[in-house]
Amino acid sequence: MADARVERLASVLVDYSTAVKPGDLVLIEATALAAPLVRAVHRRVVEAGGQPRTRIAIAGVAETLFLHASDDQLDWVNPSRYVDFEKADVRMHLLAELNTRSLSGVDPARQARMARANEKLRDITMNRAAAGELRWTVTLFPTQAAAQDAEMSLAQYEDFVYGAGLVDREDAVAQWTSFGQRLSRLAEWLGAKKELRVVADGTDLRLGVAGRRWISCDGKENFPDGEVFTGPVETSLEGEISFTFPAAFAGRSVEGIRLVFTEGEVVEGTARRGQEFLREMLAMDDGARRAGEFSFGMNESIQEFTRNTLFDEKIGGTVHLALGKSYPESGGTNQSGLHWDLVCDLRQGSEVYADGELVYRDGSFLDGIG
Amino acid sequence: MIDPRVTRLAELIIGYSLELGEGAVVRLDGGETASPLLLALYRAALAAGAHPYTSVELDGLAEQLVELGSDEQIEYLSPTEWHEVENLDALVTVWSDANTRSFTRSDPDRHSRYIGARRKLALRRWERISSGDMGWCGTLYPNAAHAQDAEMSIEEYETFVFGACHTDGEDAAGRWRSVASRLAARADELGRVRELRVLGPDTEIRLGVAGRTWIAADGRLNMPDGEVFTSPRELETEGEIRFTFPAIFEGREVEDVRLRFEGGRVVAAEAARGGSYLQSLLDMDDGARILGEVAFGLNYGIDRFTRNILFDEKIGGTMHFALGTGFAQAGGKNISGLHWDMICDLREEGEVYADGELVWQAGRFLAEPGGGNGSAGG
Repeated sequence: MADARVERLASVLVDYSTAVKPGDLVLIEATALAAPLVRAVHRRVVEAGGQPRTRIAIAGVAETLFLHASDDQLDWVNPSRYVDFEKADVRMHLLAELNTRSLSGVDPARQARMARANEKLRDITMNRAAAGELRWTVTLFPTQAAAQDAEMSLAQYEDFVYGAGLVDREDAVAQWTSFGQRLSRLAEWLGAKKELRVVADGTDLRLGVAGRRWISCDGKENFPDGEVFTGPVETSLEGEISFTFPAAFAGRSVEGIRLVFTEGEVVEGTARRGQEFLREMLAMDDGARRAGEFSFGMNESIQEFTRNTLFDEKIGGTVHLALGKSYPESGGTNQSGLHWDLVCDLRQGSEVYADGELVYRDGSFLDGIG
Repeated sequence: MIDPRVTRLAELIIGYSLELGEGAVVRLDGGETASPLLLALYRAALAAGAHPYTSVELDGLAEQLVELGSDEQIEYLSPTEWHEVENLDALVTVWSDANTRSFTRSDPDRHSRYIGARRKLALRRWERISSGDMGWCGTLYPNAAHAQDAEMSIEEYETFVFGACHTDGEDAAGRWRSVASRLAARADELGRVRELRVLGPDTEIRLGVAGRTWIAADGRLNMPDGEVFTSPRELETEGEIRFTFPAIFEGREVEDVRLRFEGGRVVAAEAARGGSYLQSLLDMDDGARILGEVAFGLNYGIDRFTRNILFDEKIGGTMHFALGTGFAQAGGKNISGLHWDMICDLREEGEVYADGELVWQAGRFLAEPGGGNGSAGG
């Protein structure tokens, strides 16, 4: 039986998140595992008058490339991808993995090499998005692999995913609209601050945010959503931060990351698990050792850690910091082939200061803020 | 476990059919059910030093567009599709429909519009393939839907498909090379013929082939393969023909097609079933009523009708005739959004005369090319 929540998710993505208009070229990227959602989104795009175009990946291609490609083949970027990215009015990325650890055995240097080669494509997306020429969204279609990472059955995980996106309710768009208003107020308030200091177990980090723009994320570019972020001043980070949550990133798990920053640059990076991968990512290029994003997770309907950044970084009461490329619309200027979000749980024993004033404690902004 | 026959098929297509070289950009098209072959092709292409990428179509999307889209949406072609058709070095098409009849209930006009819009793209692709600018190979992955059409179990169908491709054993490329030399000799001989006359049940048709080039289809453009074909002279086809096998286009079946030609054009067409679809395809454009191809099926390893043109047109002992676009490399000049192969079974009582001389009877050429007895083919 068709899951009504899939249809509703498709409607929210097409009508609300990316607001598809007649004539829009809509690029839908997914794996074949997301077929039910791809079909629903495709239908809704056609109904909205858009021109859907799908790029469907099959499981196994990425592993095959990493295992068998020459350096020259790893560096190659499909020229028709440029056409996709330059011409699309809307880009939708529907994540649906068969195996979130399929690249665990791959040489991280080869992954870094390919990420560098693909940096131009990422630049096109980010720059066109910042210029208002491209609307994009990333969402997840629940698969067994993602459920397994979350340590749930598929049915439980579906409840979690659709609950986090509020698409288990009839009035999902209204919910996101009012949540968005709250986030906008917070973003405006943060926009007046010059420096943040985050203090928690294993963490004492200062970031300059003067002159940067805070952006409220209300279900447009990520779905589900619920964060406010900016690009911190590139040379301003000082101190250390420990990321309590392990992350499935680029087909492997990396755990217990601790970073030490001096003048905005990572001078020390360690991981309890995946140290070699962390080292390779940091060495990818100059920008990989700097933060491109700092953000507060504000979605109270995501409480559980599920080993998936799309959800974990939105958990109400967390912050995350991304190594690598910044989003130009935030005022960030960092360039890199990397954009790796690392999540820090602040729900217990934490404090955040803004320009010296305590504004956030144990996962919540103090009353009256934002 | 990977079926070694799949790996061999992939290596055959990359190495023999396309002879893919270092740096070549190749797109691998298929449905999701073809994933094992797409992945094997991807790997074989990487090993050849090429730049492969997959382009997978999810079933149901095109049907949805045809059902719900405005005329403009149905006819839309993306800039990426144009870029690819102009720039690809090679393309592999793996036919692998999840349901071969999914368009049966679609509105025929809307469906024709969808196909017609892709005509420019298809023409440009053929142009680049014909001029040698782009390599192409069409093959099939034995999935449940195609097995169902063939009325076989998946295991039987795999045996049939990989057998027809000669990938059921080692050295598939060697076997195809030997087929290629026999077909080339046959094509040479047919190249000297001016007129063909085909006689069969309810069939008496004359085709002009003077000055046209016969091409040995030896596993380069199709896998499996095994036919010799040309594009007949556009204005010379005269007579009647009846196709005992169902004619299938884009998943829709038209049964017992009878066509009458005058001055090269279809002037009367009827079918026992699917007549209105037949008419709508004939009306697609000016070239849709003219033959773009005539061919002899010579793969005697394919001995039964399986409702799939890739195999059926090569059945040893059949001929096929395609309405629509012709082949420039054969000297064909007809242009259309259509290329619809229809098969005529001549195994029981067919006769073919070449410039008045009986050359084929009951599904076999009477002589080996260049003299001798017996049948040619793979």
